[in-house]
Amino acid sequence: MKKWFATLKTLIWKDLLQEWRSKDMLTAMLAFAILTIFIFNYAMELDPRTRASLAPGILWVVITFSGVLGLNRSFVAEQEQGSFDALVMAVPGLGSIWLAKQITNFLIMLLLILIVLPIYSLLYNQNLFNPALIATFILGAWAFSAAGTLLASMSSQSRMRDLLLPVMLFPILMPVNMAVVKAGEGIMNGLAFASYQNWLLILLVYGIIMTTISLMVFDYVILE
Amino acid sequence: MLLLAFAMVLFYAPMEQTMGWVQKVFYFHVGAGWLGMLAFAVAMVVSIIYLRKGDLKMDAIAASAAEIGLLFSIITTFSGMIWARPSWNTWWTWDPRLTTMVIMAFTYVAYFLLRNGMDNPVKRARFGSIYLIVGFITVPITFFSARMLRSIHPTIFNAGGGASMVMTSPMYQTMGFSIFAFTILFVFLLLFRSQLRLEEQKLKEAEALENEMEFGEVNNG
Repeated sequence: MKKWFATLKTLIWKDLLQEWRSKDMLTAMLAFAILTIFIFNYAMELDPRTRASLAPGILWVVITFSGVLGLNRSFVAEQEQGSFDALVMAVPGLGSIWLAKQITNFLIMLLLILIVLPIYSLLYNQNLFNPALIATFILGAWAFSAAGTLLASMSSQSRMRDLLLPVMLFPILMPVNMAVVKAGEGIMNGLAFASYQNWLLILLVYGIIMTTISLMVFDYVILE
Repeated sequence: MLLLAFAMVLFYAPMEQTMGWVQKVFYFHVGAGWLGMLAFAVAMVVSIIYLRKGDLKMDAIAASAAEIGLLFSIITTFSGMIWARPSWNTWWTWDPRLTTMVIMAFTYVAYFLLRNGMDNPVKRARFGSIYLIVGFITVPITFFSARMLRSIHPTIFNAGGGASMVMTSPMYQTMGFSIFAFTILFVFLLLFRSQLRLEEQKLKEAEALENEMEFGEVNNG
């Protein structure tokens, strides 16, 4: 078990280092996220009163859209260099490969949230540093990366590649999007915890279910 | 069977007081909706069997079930719209049930896009099966959306809910029979469509083999 964790750590470190050296993915995601925030400003003519409760929804859309960009890249390096087979041979237990990818994607999402949240707060002059809201986003990011990593591993092997992922992912994310937006709305309107705790529970359960399913079926995705 | 159900809808079920004729579309709406969700459930179960056994026949059945489910989800949506126009005075409303239903249908559109994008039949079957299992999460959400969330969509199978419908027993009988008829319809559609899919598969294999043979002859000559 200890060895398994060591493998997992090495794999995550490898993925993060790879990303750190090129910074392709993160730069593109951030640029896209910030652009989207600006575009929303044109599109919605956000008036200050409605803006407050809309903010979590808009932010979540921004985060998931740029998250998809990142997911699309997450299996590209292995495919282009053909190092996936080597990885499969080197690592005992295929589950750890998948889990490492998911955790990497999750960490990148966290970083994205950490950067986008203050920018949004600054631009719209609205304090979003609410612990409940951040917790909601973290749970959402885990659910998102759980479903997203599995689907990205499949879509990257199809002929349509990047085109396919959002079409496959967004219907499956329906409960996540619903829960994040509803919980966020409740939090921003200052409602009691009891009124939105079910939404957080849905996020948690969704994340656990998706991670479990993925660990169960990932063997079938990479084996020839 | 369907004809009998149709006759029952027309002549046996009593006229609904406030909604009149339009209410009769409801029997098919419920039947088609039931069939759609049943088909998706079958597709998921068969997908699990496929991943366990690796028999391409199972993949053909799963794909056929998903196809039938998609078709009937669309029928459900449109028959619902016909009912909604006079009852809610609008074709479409952003109600949780309606929204989740359409998103559910899109899951299965994505499933066929994924299948089309895969050239290797074994990988296509595997990925398709995984997606059907993961995608099934949208089905219970659609089913329960009218019950858990604040929705104006009527529900039938719950006691004392806010928007549940009140029906007389001939109406229940007609609805029950309609659901039964649609289930039978599903079984037959699934049998025929899977058969067709398997034949298509065989034909493709035979064609590939023939091409190979011709190519071989050219090489020899």
